[in-house]
Amino acid sequence: MKFNSWYLSSLLISFFVLIPIITVFTSFFESTSNYFEILKNTFLIEYILNSLLLLFSVLILTFFLGTGSAYLVSFYKFPGCNFFKWGLILSFAVPPYIYAYSLTAFFENYGTAFTILKNLFGDANYNKFIPKFDGMFGAIISISFSLYAYVYILARSSFLYQSQNLIDLGKNLSFSKFQSLHKIILPAARPAIIAGLSLVAMETLAEFGAVDFFSINTLTTGIYNSWITFDDLAFANRISFFLLLFIFSLFILENLSRKRAKYHFNTKGGFKQKEKIKLEGNKAFFASLFCFLIFFVGFLFPLSQMLYWTIKFPENLLDLEITDLVLNTVYLVMLSSVVLLIFSLISNYGNRVSNNKILNLLSTLSISGYAIPGVILAIAFITFIAWFDESIVKLLGFSSIKKIFIGSILGLVLVYFIRFYSLAFNGIKSGYEKMNISVDESAYLLGYSKRKTFINIHVPFLRNSLLFVIILISLEIIRELPITLILRPFNFETFATTAYISASEDLLEAAAVPSLFLILIASLFIIITSKYILKEK
Amino acid sequence: MSNNFFDVNNVDFSIGNKIKVKNVSFSIKNRGETICLLGPSGIGKTTILRSIAGLEKINKGEIKLNGKLLSSEKKNVEPENRNISLSFQENSLFPHYNVKKNILLGAEKNKDNNTKYINYDELISLLNISQILNKYPHEISAGEAQRVSLARSLITQPDLLLLDEPLSNVDQSFKEEIQRNLKKILKDLKITTIIVTHDSHEAFYLGSKCGIILNQELKQFDDPYNVYHLPNSIEVVNFLNRGILIPAQVTSPKSLENEDLGTITGNFIKPFPIGSKVKLLIQPEDLHHDDTSNLKMEVVDRKFRGTNFIYTLKAPSNALIPVFVHSHHIHQHEIDEKFGIKRPIHIDHIVCF
Repeated sequence: MKFNSWYLSSLLISFFVLIPIITVFTSFFESTSNYFEILKNTFLIEYILNSLLLLFSVLILTFFLGTGSAYLVSFYKFPGCNFFKWGLILSFAVPPYIYAYSLTAFFENYGTAFTILKNLFGDANYNKFIPKFDGMFGAIISISFSLYAYVYILARSSFLYQSQNLIDLGKNLSFSKFQSLHKIILPAARPAIIAGLSLVAMETLAEFGAVDFFSINTLTTGIYNSWITFDDLAFANRISFFLLLFIFSLFILENLSRKRAKYHFNTKGGFKQKEKIKLEGNKAFFASLFCFLIFFVGFLFPLSQMLYWTIKFPENLLDLEITDLVLNTVYLVMLSSVVLLIFSLISNYGNRVSNNKILNLLSTLSISGYAIPGVILAIAFITFIAWFDESIVKLLGFSSIKKIFIGSILGLVLVYFIRFYSLAFNGIKSGYEKMNISVDESAYLLGYSKRKTFINIHVPFLRNSLLFVIILISLEIIRELPITLILRPFNFETFATTAYISASEDLLEAAAVPSLFLILIASLFIIITSKYILKEK
Repeated sequence: MSNNFFDVNNVDFSIGNKIKVKNVSFSIKNRGETICLLGPSGIGKTTILRSIAGLEKINKGEIKLNGKLLSSEKKNVEPENRNISLSFQENSLFPHYNVKKNILLGAEKNKDNNTKYINYDELISLLNISQILNKYPHEISAGEAQRVSLARSLITQPDLLLLDEPLSNVDQSFKEEIQRNLKKILKDLKITTIIVTHDSHEAFYLGSKCGIILNQELKQFDDPYNVYHLPNSIEVVNFLNRGILIPAQVTSPKSLENEDLGTITGNFIKPFPIGSKVKLLIQPEDLHHDDTSNLKMEVVDRKFRGTNFIYTLKAPSNALIPVFVHSHHIHQHEIDEKFGIKRPIHIDHIVCF
């Protein structure tokens, strides 16, 4: 019995999550149109080089922003440090594509910067003095300021776990502050920082909205364009294959680093709470300035820009069907949350009660979905459905199932499931990890059946984790762009797709209203969950 | 058919495919008895308790409670249907309920039964946990968590109570009082109990019978006096670590000869043929101090144990012999001094191997 129910559910989930990967790998060897030959000799190298340039630039910048700010708020007291502790994660609310719109809107010819200068100093041609943040440079800035928080959160939590004993040891060895940072603090936090950078790397390679907006040819935009412009699914899958190779290397690196980060500190020897050093004078000023600039550029700037345009062009607010967008978003969030929570609970509970290695392996496979870019997931899903429809459904004499899965809410929710399953699974798993298995056994011995233990002991205990998972899923779905763009039903829009469509039609002012709503809703969710994201114990 | 209240017959206790303790048999004759299982850490004592509770299956032998078969190769009654309570060594309290709710969850199990209830107020007072009832498990110490877990197990009034190192985290200052209270509660409520511990003093105090588990086997199962004074194997002697084995030769049905101590008289627990060479167990209480004796040995160590000293003497053959002396004895010997042993040497129970 045990084998059947738990294995079956885990197998189903794993198989489902693996569909896109299997599709991409099998499609790699299929023939394609001449377009592939043309691209192979011309653009494919460009796709790869652009992706790598973007990747390394973003990694350098996010390391500097994330680790620097985490170091300051973890080790020092300075004006505003308690605010910056959580304020710095608000940049998560601004997806790279919205950042890109703000950047362009501000620095473009006759943009917001021009207007400010004109109001301050009168009419003149300021355009030639205003720097232009477009193309590759704009994409690097947009993605970095949107994603540095991954490095910030993981580095900060690693710094927090560093015992005062470690710092005292540095003093005892007569290290200066810089030497302590260089020789003790950073090496000790290295696995966490690498884990953060790996997440940034995966997100950067998967990034679609911002690079598309700046018209940069990367692997992700290549996949999208092959499908949209040339209607060549096979070639889209071939590019996906290359991208997946990069992604999987990073996925493995991130997993290894996280495992090492977990065991990097020997807390058995005694953990001593750190005493933060109070900064005075210039040092305090520059620490505050550094954090404020990151907060300002990463969050306040895009928020203000979108707010400014919404106020300046109020007609866009009236044109937008806000009620529909809210209802669509709520509908997607609720449906996806219910499906994700049910399956994640089943898998987690199955793993817990059966404690089986194969089941654990299947669960690990199931959570690999988060590493796969949304564009790949969506295209691979379409490819798979098309193949299934042609090869099996029609062969059996049934009518086509394409409409059920492609361009439908069902298809959208299924692909969200693959993409966000790891969020739900890991969120519940981390809740379960706080509960010793002997707690279950105590319940059995008190006369509770497995079902009663689950309902009366597990669910009340996991209440907070479940809530946290729902908020995280909501946050991701609200920000999600490529999957929604590709798989949504006709005339079904979210804040993200509305902003994208307006921006791609060069109507940046119209993109401001949905972008502003998106930032505000996402900020609200981040503030609610900041207690968990930044937990110190 | 056995009339015992609880029986373990030829059971191999294992975790997964790994056998921890082989071919174990013991029984508890009457309801309300307490027995203790003693052994070093990691030997499989907890596995035995988990298997009795139904949390691990057995592949050989059978476990019966009150005449009902609970576990065998083919049968395994689910833990929730056994009415056996297990108090874990580690914290197994429900983390999202406070101490009071944790304890009362145990009582809920019996609310439909007509069994005599243990008084809740009395229980929390006896276990000294009245001041932490509103706290959550993460807010209390390991020792307090153990006592709460004990209270939760006791309040269910199970047919069989299993306690895994119940007082291992409890402060020494509380320990004796709680041991006394625990013994009283178990006796008053006639709760049959199996206690696992590595503390021989705790086992000898709480158990009417003690089982010694060593090298994957239950080596001895007997009352505490016999386990201590009449160990049945060299392994048990070494585990209890209270005496030494010295070479000797049997010279008559009531005497033997050792090169350091000379003639020793007494009653053999197990007869040996005259002339056989044996290993004689010398426990600290077997020899007595006498300054006037001409049998003198050098003191190489002295351990103060509150009520007594244990002197370690170096014999001419280099054997190290322990001798017990009351701490109120008229004078003490320093290391390197000569220490007299009273002669003739007579040991009531001669234990040889």
